[in-house]
Amino acid sequence: MKKSLFTFVLSLMWITLAFAADPAYENAMKKQIAAMSTIQSADESQSVANGFLRIAEAKSEEWLPLYYAAYIQSTAAFRFEVNKDQFFDQALELVNKADKIAPNNSEITALKGYIIMGKLSVDPMNRGQEMSPLALQTFGKAIALDKENPRATTLMAQMELGMSQFFGSGPEKACGLARVGLELYAKEETKITDGYLLPAWGKNLAEQVANSCK
Amino acid sequence: MKIRLILLAYFFLSQTLAFGQTLISGKVLDEKGNPLPGVNVFIKGSFDGTSSDTSGAFEFETTETGDQLLAFSMMGFKTQEIYVALSAPKLEIEALKLVEEYNEMNTVTISAGAMEASDEKKSVILRPLDIVTTPSAMGDIVGAFQTLPGTSTVGNDGRLFVRGGDASEVGIYIDGMRVGNAYGTTAGNVPTRTRFNPNLFKGTFFSTGGYSAEFGQALSSALALNTKDLAIRSQGDLSLMSVGGGYAHTLANDKRSISISGNIFDLTPYQALVKQNFDWERSPYGLDLEVAAQHKLNKGGLLKVLARTETGGMKLWQPQPGMDGKGILVDLTNNYTYAQTNWRKTYENGWTLFSGVSFSHNKDFISYDDLDVERKNNLTHVKFSTIKDFSDRFSAKTGVEYFIHDYSEKLVEEDLDRSFEENEAYLFTEWDWYLTKKFVLRGGLRAGHSKLVVDQWLDPRASLAYKISEFGTLSLAAGRFHQLPVDNFRVLDVTLKNSESKHLILNYLFQNDGRTFRAETFYKSYDQLVKFEGYPQNPQNLRNEGSGFAKGFDVFFRDQKTFKNTDYWVTYSFVDSERSYNQFETNVQPDFAPTHNFSVVVKHFIVKLKSQLGASYSFNDGYTYTDPNFSGEMNSKTSAYQNLSISWSYLPKPNLIIHAAVTNVLGTENIFGYSFARNPNEQGQFESLPIGQTAPRFLFVGVFLTLSKDKNANQLNNL
Repeated sequence: MKKSLFTFVLSLMWITLAFAADPAYENAMKKQIAAMSTIQSADESQSVANGFLRIAEAKSEEWLPLYYAAYIQSTAAFRFEVNKDQFFDQALELVNKADKIAPNNSEITALKGYIIMGKLSVDPMNRGQEMSPLALQTFGKAIALDKENPRATTLMAQMELGMSQFFGSGPEKACGLARVGLELYAKEETKITDGYLLPAWGKNLAEQVANSCK
Repeated sequence: MKIRLILLAYFFLSQTLAFGQTLISGKVLDEKGNPLPGVNVFIKGSFDGTSSDTSGAFEFETTETGDQLLAFSMMGFKTQEIYVALSAPKLEIEALKLVEEYNEMNTVTISAGAMEASDEKKSVILRPLDIVTTPSAMGDIVGAFQTLPGTSTVGNDGRLFVRGGDASEVGIYIDGMRVGNAYGTTAGNVPTRTRFNPNLFKGTFFSTGGYSAEFGQALSSALALNTKDLAIRSQGDLSLMSVGGGYAHTLANDKRSISISGNIFDLTPYQALVKQNFDWERSPYGLDLEVAAQHKLNKGGLLKVLARTETGGMKLWQPQPGMDGKGILVDLTNNYTYAQTNWRKTYENGWTLFSGVSFSHNKDFISYDDLDVERKNNLTHVKFSTIKDFSDRFSAKTGVEYFIHDYSEKLVEEDLDRSFEENEAYLFTEWDWYLTKKFVLRGGLRAGHSKLVVDQWLDPRASLAYKISEFGTLSLAAGRFHQLPVDNFRVLDVTLKNSESKHLILNYLFQNDGRTFRAETFYKSYDQLVKFEGYPQNPQNLRNEGSGFAKGFDVFFRDQKTFKNTDYWVTYSFVDSERSYNQFETNVQPDFAPTHNFSVVVKHFIVKLKSQLGASYSFNDGYTYTDPNFSGEMNSKTSAYQNLSISWSYLPKPNLIIHAAVTNVLGTENIFGYSFARNPNEQGQFESLPIGQTAPRFLFVGVFLTLSKDKNANQLNNL
């Protein structure tokens, strides 16, 4: 009896241990997330992405480091003078790896849509017809997976804004979405503490879309 | 005591951890010895590592000890791992070279004879969308390819003619499976079009010669159409056109999609409004039903099914030279079915497997004056192929194919018929070897066997490409090609053997950021072409005794960059071709091979009007014909052919397109040849009638509406 109780307690402890956060992982992530906001060049971007990839390599069960690496790779394509198609393709490869670890994750799905939107922006004339419905559908899926995900709603707003500009229709749909996005960001901000590792980017995008509605 | 010892040991160990830091430094280079920045250098299994800087150098501290794996990784390069012993405070690693992985983006592509239309690959010439929006094409795949180098427009035929070859010399494939009777059956001198809708395909590969060992039974060209993968959403597509209408419904989820469409076309209302040159008793009409389904299987396999069935016909008077009145009444009905399924899967270990089956069935009833003819053609194609990537530099494709082909012709009233049944087997293999990223060699062999002719043959093919500058590639292709004669000759004499052609092609391709320049020169020989005595309608004494050649060059320039929202391409093809074939006793220039061929396509998008305006112009120097009033064969030539077409696509909403197009705006009276009376009249002259266009112009207006019940679309509307 005593023995079994001991085993029980031990196994319980083991489970708690297994679920307990890994401080080394958390610290490494925090360091890279902090570095992420200081990126000013393609080289710096590469080195932060590499940091996340190292974590991904060591902690192959975590989707977040791959997610961030993909995110950095795609923002680099938007921001810097690089081979955009190549960067977006690499980002897509990484986000697909993250998707395998954590299927049906709203954040991963939204990022995938973000990358598709990036690929579209490289050659809108030729890729628009095929990729804009694909991007819309991906954002739609991300929203369906988590209605509280501000990035899913905001990116959808941005896509809708682009479409309304192209077709000269009113931006009402985009504006409504951006407002919802901003509300969701406000909600998200209350959750953010010092050790918050989950994605929190994109508020400025929601503001941009909302501003164009005034 | 014991506890003290443990504590001591623990203390000692943690001290080692704290003081056992190692500073690792080194340098990463590429294959040429240039510094490689941005390489991720790290101790495997730890968070310790860094990125190499612009000089390729790296330096980082690690607390790991003992034997560890130091990894060097960067996307696009092969990851390298080396063992390091971490004991000293400093460790300097020797300069290390990373090897770049060969992939489609950074290696050379063979472009001799090849023109690709795809969204996925580089070195494409056209995008799938370009096919639909080329004004002169009127939505026909082949119509768009007629604006590309190496082709000539034969306006009274409508099929694809490549480099001095006739239309039967182009083999048409869908997902690698042969399509029998890919063009609609038509009456003489009424141009036809491809049966398949361009929206079915995600990409096309068009070869003007020297093509892969995967394809055969086509002396000139292979046109490979690849169907779309999984549809991304459920939707309905409604089309209303001046010539008919249709509806397609697509159901899709993450795993599978199916799309069913039905179309009806009838030129009766149109021809009642717009004056025609031909005397129609019944305007061309047709009905079709099509199903396309895609299914993603577990672990990356993809299964596709495509089936189409259609029926149609026409009835018209064909005037005869030297005869008064309306001429001869031609009444034609056609039934056609094509079905195929294929499965493809790529395995992690470098193998890709493909298998497919296709079936084409065509049945024509033609009454020509008082002669009723029934014609049947069935083609079954079975194929299995594998691709093995031995490394990123070396891959091999190997396959087997089997064809069952039966053809019959019947005179209904007289109850006379003739037919043949053929079985063909093929074996092919093709090897790609990248010596460097800039240099690729491809060698292929195709072996064939015909049961009916009791003959076997072997076709070697080879090509190579060399990247001579950052954006320029030089390619060379050569090969031998065999093709059995057309069905209506074979049915008269089943012992007719293959005709043979040899190709040699030199190509230069320059592609940079929205601009493409392509120049190609070729030589093509023909042997064992079918010759006969008498008239083509009633050939006698058929034999494989003809021969000929085609040589020339073509240039192509496309620019999407210079003018904003404007895309244009210019093509010129020069073909010098002569052959002794059919009834011709001497070497003649065939009537389907004009010497100078020129075309321009311009598309301009006006954002303000949400419209794309397009124009295309084609020109050739005329078609040869034999005038029996003079001596010699193919002794005359028609005046030059030209056609200016314009189109306007208007996108008022994302899901609505209004498209209007007019061909031959200038109303040029193009003549494609003359038909002559068989016997001279009282003055000793052979009377003639020009073979012209069905109408001076063709007008098209269509409205295309997409209805999508996407859940999130509804959700958005509620906001």
